[in-house]
Amino acid sequence: MLGRLGRMATLPSRLGQRIGLFDHVPEGLPAGSSPPRHTFRWDLDKTYLRTEFDSIGDLVRSAIETAADKQAYPGATALLRALRQDDHRICIVSGSPTQMRQVLAAKLALDGVDYDEFVLKNNLKNLLRGRFRSLRAQIPYKLPAMLQSRIGAAAEHETLFGDDAEADAIIYCLYADLVAERVSLQDLERVLIASRAYDDDALRILDLARRVPKHDAVNRLFIHLDRRSAPVGFRHYGPRLVPVFNYFQAALVLYGDHVLSARQVIFVALEMIDSGQFEVGHLATSVQDVIRRGRITRELALQLAAEAHEAARSGALSGRNDLPPFEQIAESFRERVRELGPTEPYQFESTAPLDYVRLVDQEHEHRRTRRRRGAH
Amino acid sequence: MHRIVVDAMGGDHAPEEIVHGAAEASLALTSAEIILVGDAAELGRLLPRMRHDGARVRVHHAPTFVEMDEKPAEALAAKPESSIAVAADLVARGEGDALVSAGNTGASVLACARRWTLLQGVRRAALAAVYPTELRRGEKDDPFSLILDVGATIDASADDLVGFAVMGSAYAKLVSQNRRPRVALLSNGTEPGKGPASVVAAHAALVETTELNFIGNIEGLDIPRGVADVVVTSGFVGNVVLKMLEGVSETVVRLARYAHKERLAWRLGLIALSSAIDQLKMITDWQQYGGAPLLGFTHPFIKAHGRSNAHAVTNAIKVAHKALAGNLCGNIARTMAELDERASRRPRTADGSESGAP
Repeated sequence: MLGRLGRMATLPSRLGQRIGLFDHVPEGLPAGSSPPRHTFRWDLDKTYLRTEFDSIGDLVRSAIETAADKQAYPGATALLRALRQDDHRICIVSGSPTQMRQVLAAKLALDGVDYDEFVLKNNLKNLLRGRFRSLRAQIPYKLPAMLQSRIGAAAEHETLFGDDAEADAIIYCLYADLVAERVSLQDLERVLIASRAYDDDALRILDLARRVPKHDAVNRLFIHLDRRSAPVGFRHYGPRLVPVFNYFQAALVLYGDHVLSARQVIFVALEMIDSGQFEVGHLATSVQDVIRRGRITRELALQLAAEAHEAARSGALSGRNDLPPFEQIAESFRERVRELGPTEPYQFESTAPLDYVRLVDQEHEHRRTRRRRGAH
Repeated sequence: MHRIVVDAMGGDHAPEEIVHGAAEASLALTSAEIILVGDAAELGRLLPRMRHDGARVRVHHAPTFVEMDEKPAEALAAKPESSIAVAADLVARGEGDALVSAGNTGASVLACARRWTLLQGVRRAALAAVYPTELRRGEKDDPFSLILDVGATIDASADDLVGFAVMGSAYAKLVSQNRRPRVALLSNGTEPGKGPASVVAAHAALVETTELNFIGNIEGLDIPRGVADVVVTSGFVGNVVLKMLEGVSETVVRLARYAHKERLAWRLGLIALSSAIDQLKMITDWQQYGGAPLLGFTHPFIKAHGRSNAHAVTNAIKVAHKALAGNLCGNIARTMAELDERASRRPRTADGSESGAP
């Protein structure tokens, strides 16, 4: 009876969240539980979900799509499932409106993706309050959401996943530098002014930044090259940010970071092959690409081929008669490494500390240019 | 998936423009994999600067390359690991399906000829070139006619010319989307008996074929008019004709520049015509066409212009992809086999030669 009353008491709040009147505040860790070892933060559109925003038609289509219509990028589901293991924390922060929570949550449930937090943007509230700048704003929305989440559950390590369509690279690096105390509150204030945050939002973000547990926690940031942007455009963010063409490349880097096992990398690869959009050759070429860009070493690629071969022998690929013999797959990976000849591994130049105010200004200018050209 | 091998070091603007063109092609052709052959360190530096699909462009290291002005045979002998040699090897070994190069033409043709096998029934390969004409053709309103051979070999027998006609027709069908390309022999008169013995004999043989839309002989002046879609000739004549046509075009442009400088009235006239000239330039822009094929081998080879920029390289790769997707080599082999079969059924004279052929 009490439980039923309790559920009824939360009904207006849940209804309010559903229609977008109230904000969904992520729940922190239950009292007494130990902090997570690793938190993975994911954007949704263009990072996990294949979403087109290039025209009004695309936006409408995206809004009326059912959960079953929505498509995840090949390998993203397998990667998210692999990352969820070992009690790692999965936090999703998306710029999609809160009204889409039900359909997006249903899509994640259909894919078997389990998560701890799922934050969406309350654009109805922004609209009702006449805050039109907030409708498109990214930094004043995502940064506080991430800081709030970390205040609730501060992990020792964090890995972030975004895309090349919006300001993800800037926001993620800013977040990483804030929690590592590489960006001062004064600098953050200047960034918030540049990003045209409303005053009360800026004050709230500064307060969160003051309170957030400080630790150099963000080891890796992945930018999914949905627009196939030139990877060199992200070089100034330093080696911690890895632009990836697909999630097999992200899995390879995470294997190098000792986050994923060879077996988990295989499952990401298998999901990509099953999507029909990738063949074994594409995966082998993806390996070569990340070696050329200095994101993994040749030795690591060869070690993965050997370990994956062992995993396959132990039955990881049982029942997969549609694939070529695993020795052949491993050989194609080795062949791509050999094809590079005796070239020296790529050396990252030391990068200067990021000037976030300039980056924000540039991002605004790019956005204006894209709008002038008629694309979002 | 079609694997297109690209000589990344060949061409006046290599490797930047070649890599750029390949990068663009990787975005446009989702069913293709592009293999860039050249200095892996250099290519590895260039690729990340361009929009591309990292799962569809790979690099194969080749430590050297043949310069544009090197003598082909000597250069290939001295540089067995040159980018064009390695690229042709990859295709020969079955690790690639087609080749594209904007590099030294002689070295490219020689590298393929030494490593690749001719299609069954084809006696000699032919290098084709495209030329803008007055009349257009095919579903795409293609302004280019095809001339072959333009220099893969010097001389050609009657059988070689028939082979060239089959190959040129198959290519025009596919690339210009021309269902029944008009095929003609280049001669010094339109009458069947005009020209050297090989041309007369080829005429007699081509008249018999039902697979080709053979329209007879044409003269040099018919080439720019576009009377034929495929112009068949020996490598020696074809090369002379092509160079002459290019020379005439360049002279016309120079004369126009001279007129532009010389008198105000002429300048005004040219300005008035500028949009029409621009349109003509766009229609006849060889960069739109991408490249010319080397036909007759079991794999397609597209020779892009030495001055190719990224756009031209992308188009050359697209042509190679089209040749693979449309099974160009298979179509040529099938038509050659049909011609062979008909020839074998034809009654033979006492000396063993086919009746009807001199």
